[in-house]
Amino acid sequence: MQGGRERVTVVKISTHQFMILGAAVLMGTTFLPISAIVTSSAGRDGWMSVLPGFAFGIPYGLMLISLMEKYPRKNLLQISETILGKWIGKSIGVGYILITGYFGGLLLGQCGDIFERSIMPLTPVWTFYLGGLLLVLYLVWAGIEVFARFSEMVMPLIAISIILIVWLSLGRVEQGELMPILENGIKPVLFGIVKVMPFSMEYILFAAAILPFLPTGKQEIKQLKSGVWRAVFLIGILNTLIALIQILVFGPTETIRLVYGLLVLGKMVEISRTVSGVESIFMMIWLGALIIKICAFFFTALFGLETVFGLKRKKWMALVGILFLATAFGFVSGHSLIMEIGLVDNYVILPFTSLWIPILWGVSRWKKGASA
Amino acid sequence: MMRHKGYTIGFLILLIVSMFFIEGCWGKREVEELAPLIGVGFDVGEKPGTMIITEQYALSKKGASGPEVEAWTISHEVSTAREVSEMTSKIIGRNAFMGSLKVIVISEEVAKVGFKDTFDFAQRYSEFRRSLYLILCKGKAQDILNLKLRTRQIPSLYIKSNIENGVATSTFPKVRLGHYLTVLGNKSTAPILPLIESIKPGDAKIEYTVEGEKSAQEMWIQGAGVLRGDKLIDLLTDDETKGYMWLENDITNRFVYTVGIDDSDINFGGQVLKSSTKYKIANNNGTLELQYLIKVSVAIDEVSGQKEKLSDNEWIELMNGAEQKFASVIEKECMQSLKKERELGLDFLGIGRHIEQLNPNYWKSVKDDWEAKLKSFPVSIKIQVTIHHSGMAASSPTTK
Repeated sequence: MQGGRERVTVVKISTHQFMILGAAVLMGTTFLPISAIVTSSAGRDGWMSVLPGFAFGIPYGLMLISLMEKYPRKNLLQISETILGKWIGKSIGVGYILITGYFGGLLLGQCGDIFERSIMPLTPVWTFYLGGLLLVLYLVWAGIEVFARFSEMVMPLIAISIILIVWLSLGRVEQGELMPILENGIKPVLFGIVKVMPFSMEYILFAAAILPFLPTGKQEIKQLKSGVWRAVFLIGILNTLIALIQILVFGPTETIRLVYGLLVLGKMVEISRTVSGVESIFMMIWLGALIIKICAFFFTALFGLETVFGLKRKKWMALVGILFLATAFGFVSGHSLIMEIGLVDNYVILPFTSLWIPILWGVSRWKKGASA
Repeated sequence: MMRHKGYTIGFLILLIVSMFFIEGCWGKREVEELAPLIGVGFDVGEKPGTMIITEQYALSKKGASGPEVEAWTISHEVSTAREVSEMTSKIIGRNAFMGSLKVIVISEEVAKVGFKDTFDFAQRYSEFRRSLYLILCKGKAQDILNLKLRTRQIPSLYIKSNIENGVATSTFPKVRLGHYLTVLGNKSTAPILPLIESIKPGDAKIEYTVEGEKSAQEMWIQGAGVLRGDKLIDLLTDDETKGYMWLENDITNRFVYTVGIDDSDINFGGQVLKSSTKYKIANNNGTLELQYLIKVSVAIDEVSGQKEKLSDNEWIELMNGAEQKFASVIEKECMQSLKKERELGLDFLGIGRHIEQLNPNYWKSVKDDWEAKLKSFPVSIKIQVTIHHSGMAASSPTTK
């Protein structure tokens, strides 16, 4: 524990890396289910729910940075122990480990499901699990800074690939699919926002773990705060574009029916009636996004184990890896896997994170007020 | 230093191990072991609950100097589409590759029964692309795909290129699988599919010399079929389909001619350079009405029946008259299409969707009974034709 903590205080990531890493984790796999999720709630107005849903994460990100200012070099679990007391803090920590560990395993399973469904149906699914996990293990072993640099390299490719797919799909747009706007009022859009909110909470769960690696200078704190804004808006806008293009091309009914609509869209891309089948290139880039998200949850689970039980990260990597694999193998049916991810998102991650952080921040403010 | 070395070795091991996870090691399929599927036809099977699926593959021609392909066509009577994959694989000894499928031909007979289950495989299995074309055929799809065309083209590729080049005449709709599924999602709109049929010498006053056996060796896409969901309800004539194309704003270029539109001896032929169709909902004396406005630019390249030399002003007057005649031709086609829509009670023109887009509150009040309401819902069509030019000459050569 001591050795681990020593290294924690040494390794820092820059504010730019925080922004890109945050954006990459926030993006994760969201671009695959986002359209179906918002369209099932708000129909052809679903695209309007995306940006506000992601923006829900901004006040949470700012609360985290505010707590970090008061309790430097501590992650949110350590801060919880300090503010709420050891046992409440530890209980929250156990919940945090279980949630992030289980969810990371589910995402590893989704990695296999996506590839098996779309472009490599005959490849044994365990090769995706093991191949993905090896990359994750390497990134975790190399540390948070290497992980941040990996994100800096992959995130622009993800953004470009999404913009490219939207642009190349413009020729497939169906007439008037976006109209009428707000046919059923604002209520369905609000329901859609609630469905998107868990994605921003996943990002907050990861940010809570990496607080000790962030710079704490006054100027840098300002940059971190703007980094939260920028990451949320970048990903919110990219996901809005994805939802828009799918509604425009498929119409609302088909957008809901398709499991991974963006992959279907990738298959429809044709350049000058000659180049097609470019979806494999998109898939390769999106694998990077999947790895980043899985890796983020691997990190959070390890940080949790280290903070709550004092277990050294590198020694317990293998165990967490086995748990990830076991979770992934536990879901043979892709449909149950997708349902489980939705359930954990909506009924565990959203309530857990949306309550934990404001309570912690509120109690911290209240204690400060009381002591003053 | 030691730590750095450890990372390097770790990274190298990871790279080596990663090689085993590359696709080629697991699902490897050499190109020459694949049979690219390019066309599929659906016919009704002889036994109840079965269908005849005809598959057309493009195989590389043996001994060809360049990248030439030849068709390999086979039909099976089966209950499911996957059965065909198994049977074909046994015969050809290759893996069928579905990602290259360009066109699905559905026979009129199958379409009347409904084909949702028949082609579920094509919208579910990941290799297929939603950009493939759907087309109805008169007679058997099997016959269409086995046609020996005089141009020596493979029927599936011929159909594909004919559909894609159809924008030059804009006389039939281009329907991709994705578009059909999207229209199905709009419950009020009836899907429409283009219609292909083989032509024997003498059919539709077309004559050509048959090579070898006496059978059809040409085909064309003309007309369309209107469906309720996946069931064919009726066929549209050529004019009704053309009317649909105007109202659907799907005209890129068109050839138009005024013969028979009135009693005049002077007639015009021309090409549509540009066309745009807009619509709005207007209140006409307390009744809501859908108003179409079609603006068309035409270049005249044929004038017949004009015998006298005309002055410049007389020529301009003649062109003004031509604008009216072209507008009448377009109006006639649109009205025929609208008449058919009302007769069938099926909204293939998407009038319901237009109302939903422009006046969602009114749509909510009529949508449950839309098919009945459609028959009397007021629709007006206004056409504005502009003649851009009359080709390389003004007056026709004088014969008087």
